[in-house]
Amino acid sequence: MNNKFQNFEERVQYLKEKAKEVRVNIIDMIFIAQSGHPGGALSAADLMTALYFDILKIDPKNPRWPDRDRLILSKGHACPVWYSCLAMRGYFPMKELKTLRKFESILQGHPDMRKTPGIDMTTGSLGQGLSLGVGMALEGKLVKKNYHVYVILGDGEINEGQVWEAAASASKYKLDNLTAIIDKNGLQMDGFTDKVMPMDPINKKFEAFNWQVMTINGHDMKEILITLEKAKKNKNKPVCIIANTVKGKGVSFMENIRKWHGKAPNQQEYEIAIKEIEENNDEIK
Amino acid sequence: MKSSKADIATRQAFSERMLEYGAIDKNFVVFEADIGYSTYSYLFGDAYPERYFNMGIAESNTMAAAAGMAAEGRTVIVCGYGVFITMRAVEAMRTFICYPNLNVKFLSSHGGVTPAVDGVTHQATEDIAIMTTLPNMKVLAPADTESAKKIFDVAIKTPGPAFIRLMRDPLFDIYSKEDTFEIAGSKTIREGKDLTVVTYGDIVFQALEAADELKKENISIEIIDMYSIKPFDKKNLLSSISKTEALLVVEDHQKRNGLGYELSNFCLKNKPVIFDNLGLNDTFAESGNYYKIINKYGISKKQIFNKVKELIYKKGGK
Repeated sequence: MNNKFQNFEERVQYLKEKAKEVRVNIIDMIFIAQSGHPGGALSAADLMTALYFDILKIDPKNPRWPDRDRLILSKGHACPVWYSCLAMRGYFPMKELKTLRKFESILQGHPDMRKTPGIDMTTGSLGQGLSLGVGMALEGKLVKKNYHVYVILGDGEINEGQVWEAAASASKYKLDNLTAIIDKNGLQMDGFTDKVMPMDPINKKFEAFNWQVMTINGHDMKEILITLEKAKKNKNKPVCIIANTVKGKGVSFMENIRKWHGKAPNQQEYEIAIKEIEENNDEIK
Repeated sequence: MKSSKADIATRQAFSERMLEYGAIDKNFVVFEADIGYSTYSYLFGDAYPERYFNMGIAESNTMAAAAGMAAEGRTVIVCGYGVFITMRAVEAMRTFICYPNLNVKFLSSHGGVTPAVDGVTHQATEDIAIMTTLPNMKVLAPADTESAKKIFDVAIKTPGPAFIRLMRDPLFDIYSKEDTFEIAGSKTIREGKDLTVVTYGDIVFQALEAADELKKENISIEIIDMYSIKPFDKKNLLSSISKTEALLVVEDHQKRNGLGYELSNFCLKNKPVIFDNLGLNDTFAESGNYYKIINKYGISKKQIFNKVKELIYKKGGK
């Protein structure tokens, strides 16, 4: 993807524009469905855009290309961000986005590997994605392929003990083809993560499991790109990128508000949200 | 059909075949959760270390990592004890293996009360209920060495998830090299005319002993080893109960939601006959000698003997 740009700035600018489109699609599809999870989809929008429009080695015409990079959205409820990226990359027609959560849609309420082209693994039950990623990364090592496995986790789901079982096993097998990205938006369904179940310091926990840890601003496209490239080159250890994000990022009235975890906007809210995303030309920091 | 004392338990037989099969099919891998020396999966691990993943005492992660690998198209065998893999790790099994219908097979040792001395924590007496409820899952339970080995082949050659219930200790051998096994198959191991006993796994041998005792009273029972629990052999069952007009299902499992419930439902819809089932009666067992446990909890030859006589009396027979 990145060959077509004159310089890094252009590349970043392109991705910022794409991220806007991804956000518009998220709001659009959740509005049409009148159901879904906007908060966690918006917080992951910049990370997912960077992956799907730059970092991932993929071929939308050949979704099961054996050499492709794999992505697992462990926080499966945020799938509108995944579906937006996949549709925009041409895995399926954009019009399918209007069928989110509808009867017999290819876009299930939570991701389904058998129904949606481009979905590498079914997800939706929290705390399991990192284990699934460990299995895929082990497969990559077994068949000696160079693909990379990315797992996007929420900071709430790391409450699950299984995440730490997976962390131990990834380091046992020195899975340097595995990168976990924690979308640390600070909120889970019932409130702020530090109130519901404090998990900080997350970096020290992963370091203690012998992971390479990198911490970034998950909305700073430059930092995202630089860090993802660094993660891909890392050797002998799995990488955990802790991406500090804002839940609901890009729509002012959704930002940092608990109730926007799993709620659809009404007509008026929808219009304001789209306008805000489209008009936002600020340098996001 | 003659039975002789078995040298090895079905868990070992299954794993020995897994080792042999490792040379025939170089593509499948094995996941273990630190009981490799008990499931005998270490045999495979020693021979094929690069195809053996010991994930430690962490069944949920083991199950989901197996699913991740199977999502790549690989056949994976997950080894464990029935209680842990069918309960602790059941959600990963359901959502990430059965739902996408992946090629994962489960070597599930310590089925029923066969780990009698280990006590309730290790006795899988609800596994059949849970496993048969999962869509796409096939459920198999070999009774002896030969069937355990052959059922390994059946499981690995059948697409999708399959659960294989195995036993902790050696009991008896009844099958020979000529016997064949298949999904939805069963074996009529004794022919009779007065009543049909359907069972599987360790209770097969209790049924055989009860049949010998009943014979002395001039009662002839037919015994079906329903080693394929899901799907089960409807044809053989129908033809047997059409002849005997009476059915008793006995299993080393909770009565509730076991094979007995499944077959009573089937008979009610297709061929109502005199019916009863034996199993753990909404209770846990306890530690102790296997034979004392199955007697106390009502699934031994003694209870089969008595129940058969009761049902035949009901039928209006002897």
